[in-house]
Amino acid sequence: MLAERVSNFRQTAQWRRSLDIWVPAGILILLVLACFFGPFIFGLPGPNAGSLLDARLPLFSAGHIFGTDAIGNDLLSRALYGGQISIEVGLGSMLIGFVVGGSLGVIGGYRGGILDIVIMRLLDMFLAFPSIILAFVVATFLGANEINVIFAISFFTVPAFARLARATTLQLRERGFVIATRLLGARERDVLIRHVVPNVIPSLMTYGLLTVAIAMFIEAALSFLGLGIPAPQPSWGSTIASGQQYLSNAPAIVLVPSVFLFTAVASLNSLGNALRTRIESQ
Amino acid sequence: MTLSIIGRRFLQFVPVVLGVTFITFLLLNLLPGDTAEAILGTNANPVSIALLRKQLGLNQPLLVRYWHWLEHALTGNLGSSLITQQQVGTVLSQRVPVTLELLILAFLIALVLAIPVAVLAARKPKGIIDRLGATTAMFGLAIPNFVLGLVLILLFAQHFHFFPATGYSALGSGLGPNLRSLFLPALTISFALFAAYSRMLRADMMQQLAQEEYVITARAKGVSEPRILIRHVFRNSLFSLITIVGVNFGTLIGATVIVESIFALPGIGSLLVSSVYNRDVTVTQGVVVILAVVTVTVNLITDLLYLVLDPRVRYGTV
Amino acid sequence: MSDQLSSRTTDSTAAVNPVQVDLAGDRTSSGAPSPTLLEVRDLRVNFHLQRSIVPAVQGMTFSVNAGQTIGIIGESGSGKSVTARAIMGLLPKKTAEVLGSVRFEGKELLDLSDREMRQHRGKNIVLVFQDPMRSLNPTMRIGTQIAEALHSHQKITRADAHKRVVELLQMVRIPSAEQRFHEYPHQLSGGMRQRVMIAMALSCGPKVMIADEPTTALDVTTQAQIMELLRELQRELNMAVVLISHDMGLAAMYTDEVAVMYAGRVVEQATTKRLFKHVRMPYTRALLDSIPSLDHPSLEPLSVIKGRPPDLSALPPGCPFSPRCHFAQHKCEESPILETTEDGDRFACWFPL
Repeated sequence: MLAERVSNFRQTAQWRRSLDIWVPAGILILLVLACFFGPFIFGLPGPNAGSLLDARLPLFSAGHIFGTDAIGNDLLSRALYGGQISIEVGLGSMLIGFVVGGSLGVIGGYRGGILDIVIMRLLDMFLAFPSIILAFVVATFLGANEINVIFAISFFTVPAFARLARATTLQLRERGFVIATRLLGARERDVLIRHVVPNVIPSLMTYGLLTVAIAMFIEAALSFLGLGIPAPQPSWGSTIASGQQYLSNAPAIVLVPSVFLFTAVASLNSLGNALRTRIESQ
Repeated sequence: MTLSIIGRRFLQFVPVVLGVTFITFLLLNLLPGDTAEAILGTNANPVSIALLRKQLGLNQPLLVRYWHWLEHALTGNLGSSLITQQQVGTVLSQRVPVTLELLILAFLIALVLAIPVAVLAARKPKGIIDRLGATTAMFGLAIPNFVLGLVLILLFAQHFHFFPATGYSALGSGLGPNLRSLFLPALTISFALFAAYSRMLRADMMQQLAQEEYVITARAKGVSEPRILIRHVFRNSLFSLITIVGVNFGTLIGATVIVESIFALPGIGSLLVSSVYNRDVTVTQGVVVILAVVTVTVNLITDLLYLVLDPRVRYGTV
Repeated sequence: MSDQLSSRTTDSTAAVNPVQVDLAGDRTSSGAPSPTLLEVRDLRVNFHLQRSIVPAVQGMTFSVNAGQTIGIIGESGSGKSVTARAIMGLLPKKTAEVLGSVRFEGKELLDLSDREMRQHRGKNIVLVFQDPMRSLNPTMRIGTQIAEALHSHQKITRADAHKRVVELLQMVRIPSAEQRFHEYPHQLSGGMRQRVMIAMALSCGPKVMIADEPTTALDVTTQAQIMELLRELQRELNMAVVLISHDMGLAAMYTDEVAVMYAGRVVEQATTKRLFKHVRMPYTRALLDSIPSLDHPSLEPLSVIKGRPPDLSALPPGCPFSPRCHFAQHKCEESPILETTEDGDRFACWFPL
């Protein structure tokens, strides 16, 4: 009889593998809920309602679980309200990029020809600017408020999405089912809407997550430099900036909004990457 | 054949750069807020304001102004600061070396760390180095660089006094102080670079190990895994490394702006911030244009490098 | 792999009596005095994928000695390449479960650690691949790639390695060998690249060469040249050769024994002479019929085996070839057992021709 070797085989549990999607997604959902509903639920003071008497309280102080900033505003409140702004800016600029940029990319990629070249050259020019500089300049000169910041960041998201949409469209255009549909005489508009767009959207969506992260980051950077959301409003970036001088004796002012920003960006990045791996392995 | 590809890229380069300068000019000059007014103050005599406007050439149509600016720019004259009257060119030439040194340092630190980490991670996926590297990378990509900079200052400058918190020491005053003044800022920038480079390298190497036939051939030959990793896989990954360096260059510039502000370094980034604050249009214009041109050039160079290094392109096909 | 445990096997469909087939036609008892160069017994490979286990090879048995050639013939997906890689220990450890026995000069290869196996790979047992364009590193000069095989197995100076590589290139009949050393793979034609692969394989004087579809990617003329080259080299070096192919014509001309595989199983195995004289399995017959020949009446369609090879992860019970077999009958829903005739031929069919 033949001697047999023992086979030792293990398989990683199925559920373990979905963790990498659900953990960051869960965190993000919690964050959004906290930022928009938290202040009501926890009955927090307003982000600018502090008094100098309570300045620079450390973590876990009475009534101010995350402490206060240099002029006595509750840091948790500032973080949550600031989160509202960041989320709005992030989503806003991403959506504009998605819709406008995505459309431009799909149309240009599909039609080809001069339209494509012109669109691409134009967008390349905008992409030639480092995104921050662009947002920077535009935001400053348009005036610092939330809408303008969203608009400014869109100068980056639109070309970025357009480029991705165009690349995907170009690939799709050569795929069998698109050619077949056209040979069957379908109208261009129908081909675009029913076949091309549904296949472009998934990759745009994963990129969308990463874009929100980038947008949030740019907004924070702008506010930090004083060129984004103006000072009294509780943006994460401006809170961090206000805490710069108190770094050694009251680090909470810098650290609390930083942790929020970090969590948001890290979760978005992780989720985006996890989704991308998931889509690619299919 | 390579020459025609290079030639074509150059041809594309020129209109993009021109377009970039034009858009910058457009943006900066369409702003609300009158520069002459900003200089003289809103309560100044309207006649003086008008005179200043005429002096600065602000009353001419936009396109004419752009044309003038372009003419001058091509001969190297980028105008003079509206605030300090200094030649923009001079100011730039003082600031560029600082930023350059900062960037080179950051780049080196990132590479020196990223390459070994990526190689070791690809060798033993899910091993200690891989996990450590991945966590650090995730950290590096998520943490905003201003926060990182502040934290580094807190730790190493204020707590431990290893490095100066802010300020720049020029090379002229000695290499030691110069490097010390640049170390923390360079480290701040390199974190994000490290994250991007190490992850990309690792992914590229693992993909090669999993999918490429020549890896299996090498194994069939009896070549040891470390050797395969370095001589075959890493070599081919250099291509992707070049691409990602080019792609990330834009973010690099953005990071410089912030880091120079935090650490009070007299580079291009901080110049941009101050000129924007002061509505010093000529300086802003000059800086933005230079930055955009450099970005486009770097992209061009990486594209070309990619082509030139691929032996399939260099030696042609049979 | 440190499993020295021996335990009972699970039943495999091939209930084989390990019998060694001597090419002269006599039967030798198992446990002959001198070990055969390469002896494969009941080799089984299962791939553990996310949702299923794919039995890629089920019970492969053969042996081959110096100077002999065995052909493993089958369509793509029949498990032939997997067999080659299993023998070389090149299958991914995480997903491939390899059972059975592979002995080289009496030593069990499947028990060896990767490091120990590496000493055999490229030196005693070599593998020549199918697609030399992708099998060679495009950014490395071919001379360096061949020299690498040398450096991996012996301490040799670069100068000596260079000399040896040039010798090898000449051995495989590549003209201007000295010049070719410095060239890149894309600068060579398909036939020359395959010669380079062969040179790489020969570099350390192997005893066993496994050639996995060595000529499939080449045109017919080059094919003939390469096969002739292989035959000469085999004679010169007295190698044992395992020729893997889908081409029965090649098998007819270049092998001493043939094993026909289908869906991971051996369905017929015999010495080449006897196989072609008396084909038993309808699948083998169909393969033979599909070889185009000059005698084929023109304007008549070439005979082709209808249908496609089955999906190994979802094999229906019974003979895997039955869906495509002209002679399939009800009994074929039961898996045929691999029978051995008196002459040592093996076949697995209820209704042999």
